[in-house]
Amino acid sequence: MIESINGIVNDILNAYLPESIIIIFILFSLTASLFFNTSLYKLSKWFTLFGITLALGSTFFLPIDPDNMEIFAFNGEIVSSIYTIFFKILILMSAFFLTLLSRNLIREKRDRAFEYFTVFLCAVLFAMCTVSVTNFAGLFFAFEGLGLCSFLLLNFSKKTDAKQLSFGYFVQGNAAAFLFLFGISYLYGLCGQISFSGVSDYLAQTDSIVLLTFAFILILCVFLFKLGIVPFSSWVADTFEGAGYPIAAFMSTIPVLAGFGILSRLLLVFMNYLPVLKILFICIAMLTILFSALSAIRQTTVKRLMAYSMSVQSGIMLLGLSVFSVFSLSGVLFYLLCYMFVNIGVWAAIILFYDSCKRDNIEDYNGLIFHRPYYVIAFTTVLIALAGLAPTSGFVAKLYLFSAVARAGFLFLPFLIISMLACVIMIFAYWKLIRSMFRRVDTEVSIDTKIVSSKFILYACALASILLCIFADKIIQLCQSAAYYL
Amino acid sequence: MNFLSLITLIFAPIAAALLILIPKFPNHQVKVRRFAKAFASLHFIYAMLFLVFFDTGLYGMSYEKELTFFNISWLKSMGISAKFAVDGISLLLVILTSFIVLITFVLSKMHIRTKHKLYYSMVFLFESAILGILCAKDMFMFFVFWELSLIPLYFLISQWGNSEARSAAMKFTLASFTANVFLFFAMLILYYYNFAVSNVLTANIESLSMDESIYPMWFQMLVFINFLIGFIIRVPFVFFHSWYPDIQSKSCAPVNILVSGTLLCTGVYGLIRFNLQIFPEIFKLFAPVLMCWGVVNIIYAGALSIIQPEIKKIAAYAQISMTGFVMIGLACLNQVGFNGAVFMTLALSIVFTSLYAIISSVQFRTKTTYLTALGGLGQVMPKCMYFALIICFGAIGVPFLITFAPKLMILSGAILSNLEEELMVKIVAITGLLAIIFASGYIMYLFYKVFCSVLLEQWKRLKDLSPQEMSVMTALCLVIIYFGVYPMSVIQIYQSVSNYLLDILQV
Repeated sequence: MIESINGIVNDILNAYLPESIIIIFILFSLTASLFFNTSLYKLSKWFTLFGITLALGSTFFLPIDPDNMEIFAFNGEIVSSIYTIFFKILILMSAFFLTLLSRNLIREKRDRAFEYFTVFLCAVLFAMCTVSVTNFAGLFFAFEGLGLCSFLLLNFSKKTDAKQLSFGYFVQGNAAAFLFLFGISYLYGLCGQISFSGVSDYLAQTDSIVLLTFAFILILCVFLFKLGIVPFSSWVADTFEGAGYPIAAFMSTIPVLAGFGILSRLLLVFMNYLPVLKILFICIAMLTILFSALSAIRQTTVKRLMAYSMSVQSGIMLLGLSVFSVFSLSGVLFYLLCYMFVNIGVWAAIILFYDSCKRDNIEDYNGLIFHRPYYVIAFTTVLIALAGLAPTSGFVAKLYLFSAVARAGFLFLPFLIISMLACVIMIFAYWKLIRSMFRRVDTEVSIDTKIVSSKFILYACALASILLCIFADKIIQLCQSAAYYL
Repeated sequence: MNFLSLITLIFAPIAAALLILIPKFPNHQVKVRRFAKAFASLHFIYAMLFLVFFDTGLYGMSYEKELTFFNISWLKSMGISAKFAVDGISLLLVILTSFIVLITFVLSKMHIRTKHKLYYSMVFLFESAILGILCAKDMFMFFVFWELSLIPLYFLISQWGNSEARSAAMKFTLASFTANVFLFFAMLILYYYNFAVSNVLTANIESLSMDESIYPMWFQMLVFINFLIGFIIRVPFVFFHSWYPDIQSKSCAPVNILVSGTLLCTGVYGLIRFNLQIFPEIFKLFAPVLMCWGVVNIIYAGALSIIQPEIKKIAAYAQISMTGFVMIGLACLNQVGFNGAVFMTLALSIVFTSLYAIISSVQFRTKTTYLTALGGLGQVMPKCMYFALIICFGAIGVPFLITFAPKLMILSGAILSNLEEELMVKIVAITGLLAIIFASGYIMYLFYKVFCSVLLEQWKRLKDLSPQEMSVMTALCLVIIYFGVYPMSVIQIYQSVSNYLLDILQV
């Protein structure tokens, strides 16, 4: 008995420390939602922030074995390495920012503030579990748990049509989940294995890969769905429109981080044996960028624009993943890091604007430069970084990612140039927002200066997008080591 | 000469831009403008010091400096570093840029009425970007500044232009970003092919240019064409030119000066630095095509110039037309032609800056740029007319004025050129001679229509040039006359560089 408890404690200390802290805070939040008075709603935010900070701090105490880079825990169910720790830090950082951004949402729904943060922390927990699972069953639980939490958060919105709009996410998500399960059952039937390493060993021995390819494509559907990649991207715009602003920010950050974290680990299993996947991936990525960019330029609300922006960014990262090398993988990691900061910066600006005047059309931003020049300059900086233009982190990330694709061979070059041209269309979509802010018209809209948290995040992200460009080398080396030890 | 640092030269304007933007900086237009003018003057003096200490015998890059942040160089793990250096050609263009920005600030007083802080900081940012393009030693650093120059320019055009400026700026920006994709693509595959061949991960322009024989022909062709598309839009050449008259006619006068003087010469610089230096073989192959393109440029844009109803558009098409000479000069692949082409780039920048300065004075007083509403201004503004006369003669290429020497050099280069298509070269040379008549046509037409024909009633009480405008015009005219009388003073600065480049071309 004592030995088994000892073993569990050891496992937690080795690989599961941040998750355990989050679990404690989930339990606390759940209890508090039953007993705490509504007037104490502000406490929920501070407790969540405290928990996330604690978890973030605890990631630095996770042991990293220099020789055998992977540490297994719970009978090999959970893995911990530099790679997963990198992703956990990213997820926790974005959760920290998103908690701060939820200020006005919980003000409006004081009675459900603790519930909101309970679900939110669950989503963070599932996202962290997703990147560190080692078999398909665990992957299913973690990833679908993340999807369920996302659905609950989506229904948190006050808007009357929110449930209708987010229902598409639910239905399509379930359909994708069925395909996922179906693919796993196929895989299990073929290999007799359910862990990643077991499937990988089986693939190394066998020659009959047609059915395996089919099974893997079925498994892939759920990732394509969560990341908003093209055949499954129809939910994105509607769901974002229905969701509350902080939740839309959540939807475009944490599932993307978790999705790419596990997708690149899965591809490590399959990619070497199924070369047809590379062509499939790069086609899908190119089509996603093209389709979403073309859709984005026709949007009139900021939310729908940002929804398609998420699709485009996922497409770019998938383009990097499709040529599967250490360089492209570290490029994707660096891109994710930059995307996390920049995306949250853009959402902070949008939330700040919405909280001040409750409007969300692109035209409502007209003439803002005259009232709040520094807000506009910071917003322009993060938008430029999201578009991937020159003196910002977005450019370095794109340079690194695209150079990895260019390095992979002449087969990929036509896809690369079409994708790059499609990115220009997306630049135009972002530029519409910048253009309207600088328009010479009078506006009665003004930004509420009292919302310190959103303002802080906006300026911090704008600064980070410049600093990440200047000090890119160290971070790229970090990403390279993370990718190398995957 | 160790005390001169290119890093300071390039990044000082960015620092000034940030300084102007901070909230504490006084938001009073006189103070902002005085600060900007003082800073630009100091910058110009500092840039001149580089020329004073420049070793003209050196054919490579000098004043090399690397930008590091706390001893970490930029993207070292990818073989990309923020190194800067200048050679003869880029040094001249750097000084030109600094000079033109100073002139822009002097003339800005009349035209900029709103958002002073934003305006001056954007001009400084733009200046930094242009200087970065000219000094970058690394391909991707070049590209960073190449893109950076577009963002301030978008705001400069759209915020202070007329009512249609916004769409023109959008069109220009999108066209440029599309062109940049080709440029970026070419850089990426060049970077990795070089790595695959030589196993050295580098993006240094000089080290890429050394081994032209190891690249396969089709690959060189692919990269060359991508670079060509990227640069030709900015030069601009005919068929890719429509953004240029558009933004010139719609943006305000100081921005006209800035664009015509500094932006366009970076395109030619890119052609020389990349297309000619890295792909000499392909450049030789393409030379006849480029030469024909130059001739088409001269005739087509010249013909368009005459029919324009607006003086800003006439000047814009005139500039496009004359840029054809640069292409002919580069394509004739000999010393005289090449020297002429570089000199012509410089000369065109100066001449058209001056022409737009004249136009800015006219526009400020009459509030219109349409030919039908103008005429006979020489009767009320005689000083302006005399300056305009010198500048127009300078543009046509009258002897002892600035464009005479480069035109002569380019045409003699074309005649002396030993390209294989002899007949074509002769035709080109003759057409070029005819084009001088053409040029005198549109430029003198502009001059006649604005200053000489019947004076309209409403312009009878116009005032002549102010002392500030006088000082600018005098400076520009002195430059035009000095370089016309003594062209060797320019050519000797980049003589050794052109020797080196022609060595690469092996002609």
